[in-house]
Amino acid sequence: MKPILCASNISKSFIGVRALNNIDITINAGEIHCLAGENGCGKSTLVKCISGVYTPDEGTIQIEGQSCRAMTPMEAMTHGIQVIYQDLSLFQHMTVAENIAISRLKFENKKLINWKTIKAIAKEQLDKIGVTMDLDETVGELSMANKQMVAICRALAQNAKILFMDEPTTALTKTEVSHLMKVMLDLKKKGLAIVFISHKLDEVFEVADKITIFRNGNKIGDFNSSELDEKSLSYYMTGREIEYPRYHRTYQDDTPILSVEHLTRKGQYEDISLTVRPGDIIGLTGLLGSGRTELAMSLFGLNKTQAGVIRVNGRKTDIKSPMVAKKCGIALLPEDRSREGLFIERKIKENISAPLIDDLCERGIVNCKKENEIAQRYVEELKVRTPSIDTVVGTLSGGNQQKVVISKWIATNPKVFIMDTPTVGIDIGSKSEIYEQIHKFADKGMAMILISDEIQEIMANCNRVLVMANGKCVVQLEEEDLMREDADKNLADIISNQKAKALSQEVAQ
Amino acid sequence: MTKKIDAFQRMLLIIIVVYSVFVTIKNPGFFQIQTVFDIVKTSSTTMIVAMGLLVVMISGGIDVSFMAIALFGSYTSLYIMIQTGINHLAFAFAVSMGIGALLGLVNAVLISWLRLPPFIITLGTQNLFHGIMTTFISDKSFGSGVLPECLHQFGQGTLFKIATDNGSTGLTVSLIPVLAAGLATYFILRRTMVGRGVVAIGNDEESARRAGFNPFRIRLFVYAYSGALAGMMGIVYAAQVNALYPNKMVGDELMVVAAVVIGGTKITGGQGKIFGAVLGVIITYLLNSTLIMIGLSSSWNNLFVGAILVIAVAITSYQERVKNRKHLIFTE
Repeated sequence: MKPILCASNISKSFIGVRALNNIDITINAGEIHCLAGENGCGKSTLVKCISGVYTPDEGTIQIEGQSCRAMTPMEAMTHGIQVIYQDLSLFQHMTVAENIAISRLKFENKKLINWKTIKAIAKEQLDKIGVTMDLDETVGELSMANKQMVAICRALAQNAKILFMDEPTTALTKTEVSHLMKVMLDLKKKGLAIVFISHKLDEVFEVADKITIFRNGNKIGDFNSSELDEKSLSYYMTGREIEYPRYHRTYQDDTPILSVEHLTRKGQYEDISLTVRPGDIIGLTGLLGSGRTELAMSLFGLNKTQAGVIRVNGRKTDIKSPMVAKKCGIALLPEDRSREGLFIERKIKENISAPLIDDLCERGIVNCKKENEIAQRYVEELKVRTPSIDTVVGTLSGGNQQKVVISKWIATNPKVFIMDTPTVGIDIGSKSEIYEQIHKFADKGMAMILISDEIQEIMANCNRVLVMANGKCVVQLEEEDLMREDADKNLADIISNQKAKALSQEVAQ
Repeated sequence: MTKKIDAFQRMLLIIIVVYSVFVTIKNPGFFQIQTVFDIVKTSSTTMIVAMGLLVVMISGGIDVSFMAIALFGSYTSLYIMIQTGINHLAFAFAVSMGIGALLGLVNAVLISWLRLPPFIITLGTQNLFHGIMTTFISDKSFGSGVLPECLHQFGQGTLFKIATDNGSTGLTVSLIPVLAAGLATYFILRRTMVGRGVVAIGNDEESARRAGFNPFRIRLFVYAYSGALAGMMGIVYAAQVNALYPNKMVGDELMVVAAVVIGGTKITGGQGKIFGAVLGVIITYLLNSTLIMIGLSSSWNNLFVGAILVIAVAITSYQERVKNRKHLIFTE
């Protein structure tokens, strides 16, 4: 393996806080290298130091033997360093072809545009990764997975030698992830060095050759991925052993609070039946387009149903808007926390009081004292780590933001809490805290519907599981099924079977 | 960008055709070449500034100062010509466009410097430019007698004449600056890196920066270009009216904004088409000049333009929403 980038003794401080402390890292050509660590451990800072966004306070960076310490982002790109940020930095209203080619042409300092060249460049890159796409399609119309491919092609067009990917899989479904992994392995064979940052541990093992673990700005070590397993990895990342406790339903009352019979919306989900008792945590899992998010939206009044009945407390209810859902005691934690779950630029207390604002008002005037009390109470109860309830939500870490979303709904005292992938992009520490809270609420009789891709998460939290595929419920696992020793393996098998089936259907078509 | 005519433009075209047929039925006098020539002439000034505004809006900004710039540029250059006796059309255009570009740069610098919304800045500079002109340059009116002769000729000039029943009618020379502005805008937006930069910063400024564009420089270009076209428009206007008063033009900005938006330009930037803007301008002028023919007073004009604007914006936003729904994004 030929080292392509050597960084040694990199340190970087921000206003006295040491974000990186004497980091050494070597990246080899033709290798997939994973940077792992909890939020705020310094992995993103390191990427920014290497890509020229920050200048490290100390240390040296050598790219192919050349020393280049204080680079601008542009210089870093000319050295073949490409970063795909989490937001992908694509131009929504421009075509696929232009998105791929424009940066390269800009760097070649072209003054005029030749659309044939643009298409030729785009075609060449797409061929490299073996993906076919309509070059004239506007990027805004693409799926997240295809946007990811466009971003990769754009990096390749600029002769990337090292490709950094910041959490590339967050917004992708399982099948999309495995496709992305295939592309990554392909590029690796062609000699590209890929460095990716990820929270999802199972992905780390699937593709990484080498894993570098960070904690609090320090490097814990470089490992070959074969040396580690999930447990030891999370141990190194957090500095503590993480074993999530299992949830067991103890609540006595078995009268269903929410039941769904033959719920259907053509093209999204079909014939879904489900009974939710107090204290149930029902796991909802499945593949791309399995209809689980759509189903959750329907239960919250955001997506009209076509047939079937929803009963709340035994009474037939037409949940036609989130307002009705709220009145019925249904809460939804949406998939996209920053856009749909929070007023990201407002204070914590304003976010928490938002669903309760009618109750906090006296003749149209908000009672600020009550608002503060409520916010303070739930911030404490959910252990949101924040200087004060007047802090702007957007400045918190992902885990703490999610806790604010949960507090907001818990404050309304819901009977059924639907959580759509609550721990995506959240560090392991906060994750276990959130699980702990979920268990606590369920013990008190709140019912939960937990949508998740992670088998570990489902196993730790749910007492019943529904696996969906193509809009249908394919398997339903009850408490006793989940208690068996090989339950997690069994669940994984069910999902991968569905994956295989979906693939073979795709092939058949 | 590849499909020459999208669904939205097709709809505008259909509106124009259906409306024209309707007017012709009501008043057969509408259906003649004279009408086309008239609309070309009266809409030419708006067409020119609409091109500038289109570029600004694609970059994600807005400019409501261009009419003040047009007045400032044309008034100042004509003032110089009257004072010095220069009688040269090229001089008029060059000075007016130069001043326009300069004032546009002022806009761009203020917007980038103060990091304030372009709407507020240009609303301020609209008054500022107008005030500077009337206070420090002159506030006299120029009647047809004092204006340079070349201007008068340009305003009345025709490219060719066609004999009709009621004498001959000609296609105005003002079409040339309109075509020049249109072609230049097309070339810039489609074929130059600066133009793609304009589209890029309109899509996402941070991404544009990461792709190597310099948003500040692009913004300088965008507002200077809009200013230069405004300067050009000022001269065409003065030539057509054959007079220039220090209180004209300013106040008509929003009608141009309406036309460009009717043409399908995104208010949030990143998307917009020249042909769309042209259709938008045609629709507003078509209404303007034909309401009388179908027996409605001109006060109906505002009503129709307003209605079309609201409908056009509603349709684009509805399309967006349907698209978002497909990706399970709920914005409403």
